[in-house]
Amino acid sequence: MSWETFAASINRLAAITRKESLQLLRAWPTLLMIISMPVIELFLFAYVGEATLEHLTTVVADLERGSHSRAFIAALETSGFFDMELYVSGEAEVLSALDDGQAQVGVVIPPNFGTRLEEGTAQVLIIIDGSDSYVVQSAYSAAGAIAQQYGMDLLLEQAARRGLHQLDDLPIDTSLRILYNPNIDQVIFLVPGLAAMLLQLISVNVTVMSVVRERELGTLEQLLVTPARPLELIIGKMIPSVLLVTVNLAIIIWLGVYWFKVPFQGSLWLFGWLALLFIVSGLGLGLLLSTVAQNQKQAQQMTSMIMLLTMLLTGLFYSRAPMPRVVQLLGNLIPTTYFIRIARGIMTKGVGLSFLWPDVAALVIYGVIVIVVAAKTFKIRLD
Amino acid sequence: MWQRIWAVIQKEFIQTFRDKGTVIMLIAIPMLQLFLFGYAVDINVKHIPLVVADQSMDAASRAYVNAMVNSAYFDVVEYVAGEDAVIEAIDAGQASAGIVIPSHFAARVERGNAQVLFLIDGSDLFTVQSGYNAATAIAQNHSAEVLLQKITQSGWPISSTSPLEARLRILYNPDMKQIWFVVPNIAAMVIQTQSIVMTAAAVVREREAGTMEQLLVTPIRPHELLLGKIVPNIVIAGVNVLTVIALGTFLFGVPFQGSFWLFFGLALIYVFSGLGLGLLISTIATDLKQTQEIVMMIMLLGVILGGFMFPRSSMPPFLYALGYLFPLSYFIPISRGIISKGVGIGSLWEPVGGLVIYSILIMLIATRLFRRGLE
Repeated sequence: MSWETFAASINRLAAITRKESLQLLRAWPTLLMIISMPVIELFLFAYVGEATLEHLTTVVADLERGSHSRAFIAALETSGFFDMELYVSGEAEVLSALDDGQAQVGVVIPPNFGTRLEEGTAQVLIIIDGSDSYVVQSAYSAAGAIAQQYGMDLLLEQAARRGLHQLDDLPIDTSLRILYNPNIDQVIFLVPGLAAMLLQLISVNVTVMSVVRERELGTLEQLLVTPARPLELIIGKMIPSVLLVTVNLAIIIWLGVYWFKVPFQGSLWLFGWLALLFIVSGLGLGLLLSTVAQNQKQAQQMTSMIMLLTMLLTGLFYSRAPMPRVVQLLGNLIPTTYFIRIARGIMTKGVGLSFLWPDVAALVIYGVIVIVVAAKTFKIRLD
Repeated sequence: MWQRIWAVIQKEFIQTFRDKGTVIMLIAIPMLQLFLFGYAVDINVKHIPLVVADQSMDAASRAYVNAMVNSAYFDVVEYVAGEDAVIEAIDAGQASAGIVIPSHFAARVERGNAQVLFLIDGSDLFTVQSGYNAATAIAQNHSAEVLLQKITQSGWPISSTSPLEARLRILYNPDMKQIWFVVPNIAAMVIQTQSIVMTAAAVVREREAGTMEQLLVTPIRPHELLLGKIVPNIVIAGVNVLTVIALGTFLFGVPFQGSFWLFFGLALIYVFSGLGLGLLISTIATDLKQTQEIVMMIMLLGVILGGFMFPRSSMPPFLYALGYLFPLSYFIPISRGIISKGVGIGSLWEPVGGLVIYSILIMLIATRLFRRGLE
């Protein structure tokens, strides 16, 4: 390619970019919404998710009213998982409080709890509202662990009183260390996820919508009879979106780092380059979808379907580990699956390319395949 | 007057069913969501890949690792040499958890001062939540078992079980089946999405195409037009409710504990609130694309704040109050109450009252704005 043709190409590219930017800016309410959505999501998830796993409202039927039963209730309460809000007189009332939704967990302590505890045969009944999966999760493990701990403490105390000193401590002490996110902070988990979602939303959705709209209005044909080549057209269409998403990404990361104090462990540059790679593969996917969709409405339905699949299957929010094999494979068709591991790797874990190369390679291969296929079908549809 | 309304109703039905894609979407989306939420997504993460650095390789250390594996929460993927190798495996994403057991483990257990280091990947929220809880419980359990064994061996005359046994009973969903949790939620979400989207789209499409003006110069009055537009959506939403419930109970085997007719009646009120919300959106949005975006935003907020994803009870007060703006907040307790718990109106009067008041208010506001928009 000679210098003149290259310069001409750049010229045409600039013209298309200008046109797209104007179109984008003219629809400023939409633009505002695109920019504010991830920010709102970040704030909501951060504040809503924060307190979710603790402070379950608990109803208690203490049929003993002795020092032991009070000590056990105190043990449940100090764990932070259970808030004792209601005291009733029997199991039936506990059940009806759960039925009415007044409480999420019920504790029934039988009479002569204390004496049976001394004998070593005490029982306590813990009833959990099974209509909410979150409540079940946290209440189940917390209640079991607290009861066990309480029983063991009692046993160890008895052993100590009898002078059995080799038995007055639990024999194995497990210390748990959580890597990268020691306080299980939701925001640390969210920022890479939102960043990846944003990148895909813009690269896939904007491409599909703008190509399909252009085709539906018939202006795609008009653009093609201009000297602009298809490749220039596509790149020109993408540049304003990429700029937009860069601004948006910067806002999210800035908010994450400065407002929510999320540490950015790895290299920002590496993240930037790999994000660009991700955008390119997302663009390929968008083009491919645009050749399938007949009109704007279909494109809209298709993109919202992809968004749903992305949110559920790629590991953005939900772990991929427990998913059935087929579903995991389905997730592999969406580029976010690879990028979310890269994003978490760089932001949260602080690792570099030597750890990330399998996902980077997968993303490159994915991008090449999808763009080649998209370009082929795009040409066929235009001819 | 009824004749004119009937004419509008017919027109709306024809318009909706002419587009095959829309009809398929109406049926396919709820099914897909049920499948995905029921079978693909699980916040209780099991089979977490685990690397083990066992520097003792004796009976006690093997028993410890076995206790972890037998729980089904952890699967050993690799044995490595030491802590550094464990961290490296987690860094590389080959494993999400690791155990480091130091040397002379059995002897230390005998003396009562053995230590284990358990590492877990904190970059994945649900893995760390499930894994942390499971590891804590299993480690504690195992340690207690070892202690009780030692007590039995020492000849101390007590029973060899923990002095306190907690019996945990989970109401409504004793096996913690994911799909049982999901059906009431999806039912609530699908009904709402459909009723909001259809109403908003029906009005905005008309306005965008300029046919709204044409309709207004016909003898049809605005409130007749409104009614005619709403009735088909109520019918379609009613069909949708039936589809989701039928799928849930017959295909997925989720028990429907309460009264079906109570559910159906309350669902219609709920549909009404969705129609009001859709109408309200249609007075704000200027074109279809904007409508879609506003609907998406409202759905997202509703899902987060309405108790679909997170329990509302543990939200900060401000966000809890904000949740009252979304009909999902009222209907999720109703849906769970009737489908999962099997309770009647006596236990549900609070959300039902809220839903009724909400529906009336939103309809009043929406129709007022709608008529003002027309004049």
